[in-house]
Amino acid sequence: MSGTKRDWSGNAKRRDGPRGPQKPVVKNAYTPMFEALRDELDAHHDRRERLVKASRDVTALSKKIIFSLQRVRKIERELPSNIQAEVDSRLAEIAKLLAAMAPEIQGINRYRYARSLMCLEELAEALTFSHYLRTQTLLGPDELASLVDDLVRRGAAPEDAVMADAGDTAGADTSAPPAPPAPTESPTESPTVALTLDDYIYGVFDLTGEMMRFATTSTALTGTLAGGASDGSADEAGDEPPRTILHDMHELGTFFEMLPVPPGNRVQWEKKLAVTRQSVRKVERLGYDRIVRGSERPKGWVPDLDAEDQAPGEEE
Amino acid sequence: MAPPMIDPALFDQLKAKIDEDTIVRKELDQILDNLNTHVSYTQGVLSRIHSTPRSKYATLLSQVEDGIKKETESIGKLSAFASQYPYYKYNYKWTRMVQDAISTVVLCAWLGGLSTESKPGELGRLLTLEQVGEVFNVPVNLKDQDAFHITIEEYLLGLISVVDELSRLAVNAVTLGDAAMAVRISGFIRDLHAGFQVLNLKNDILRKRMDSVKYAVKKVEDVVYDLSLRNLIPQEAQGQGQ
Repeated sequence: MSGTKRDWSGNAKRRDGPRGPQKPVVKNAYTPMFEALRDELDAHHDRRERLVKASRDVTALSKKIIFSLQRVRKIERELPSNIQAEVDSRLAEIAKLLAAMAPEIQGINRYRYARSLMCLEELAEALTFSHYLRTQTLLGPDELASLVDDLVRRGAAPEDAVMADAGDTAGADTSAPPAPPAPTESPTESPTVALTLDDYIYGVFDLTGEMMRFATTSTALTGTLAGGASDGSADEAGDEPPRTILHDMHELGTFFEMLPVPPGNRVQWEKKLAVTRQSVRKVERLGYDRIVRGSERPKGWVPDLDAEDQAPGEEE
Repeated sequence: MAPPMIDPALFDQLKAKIDEDTIVRKELDQILDNLNTHVSYTQGVLSRIHSTPRSKYATLLSQVEDGIKKETESIGKLSAFASQYPYYKYNYKWTRMVQDAISTVVLCAWLGGLSTESKPGELGRLLTLEQVGEVFNVPVNLKDQDAFHITIEEYLLGLISVVDELSRLAVNAVTLGDAAMAVRISGFIRDLHAGFQVLNLKNDILRKRMDSVKYAVKKVEDVVYDLSLRNLIPQEAQGQGQ
């Protein structure tokens, strides 16, 4: 009467662990009812465990992507090829994980397991950061959703197709700003991974931290504040001076200050906002330093980021 | 001209979503306030059971049933409203209240209330999850449809509250001279406890609340022990509890 428990790869599990049927079970009128409920609860717990595991992997991979991206030195159309390759291979892994998770988080289960899916916030951070480095714009939630859709589709595709596509996972599709990715052939009704508003908003909150780190490192190493024409070879600089990352940070900071506080999670919001304010100030300081003592700064000097990170509030 | 950092439409898009969320929560709070009133009232009426002899249960239970009707109305409103949104997004706001409502229904039925044409009320009747759903007129344990329903966890947590309440009743029934009731309760709680042991629990709320069941079992068994020691258990009850 009990359902079969399955492990991650779908093989039937023998249920003879330390707990369970070994205990002499007292049978009474209510036992069948409880057995039925137990099977349902087991299915729920197993599903959640699978999701937590996969989610942890996606988080780790997303963090690795962000580390790779932090090795970029300037904003330009194409990421350096070695970094792009690292990002692509990690995205291909993420794609497979997401495709495996997708069927389990459809409909009612999306919010049921929302707390086990924090990885999506991290993924949003990685994807928006990669987008910013290439286009100097903020990726919108709809574009992000279609990127993730695309990942899930790739992950669900047969092995050889994934290999063939892996090369341009991020390169081709994410570089064209809001252009919706053209699905070559859409499998009928394939499950997707839906991002919630929180996944996006909190992902972008974290993006400001990454931008601050990127601004600090790139300014220290190149002597200029990253921006539209920072590489000197920008084609369409126009008349007004190109936008710098400082301007972008200000815009993001203002953006979050103006948004109403979402109900339900005020504390987290306030915390994230405080960190963002701090990041903005750090980049402001960079802009000031560059103007005031620009050439004095020895090339290659990098501020001690860790020390700053560990003492939040030092500037207050 | 390079595109701006942030698409100007994005702000309004996000703000609209956040505002909607705020409004939904406010409306939910109103509905839940209402539900809370009825659940508290019904729980209050039910607590009179501890000072009411069994012969007068019928009057008391009909009052409880009135309370349950009010609860049902509120839950109907909640169900209609909440079903428009992802169920688990807001479920945490009402789950505790729904558990309490479930426990009033289960306890009322166990005491012999809530009789229907097909099932006359009788002492010791345990409503299943499905039957609780019928009382409240809402679906239970939905898996493929994202709408309001009563979950397995809510039902089980409701049962645990009933067990606590019954263990208290066992003591008070004896005080009112109804030793047979204590024996009856002892048997029921013991069976439920065995049922709970069938579950594979994680270290979650259900496991923590479940811990109280074994204390309830012990408490009632002590009562029965006291009674049997002094030969206070009436003949006809002896078969039921042991």
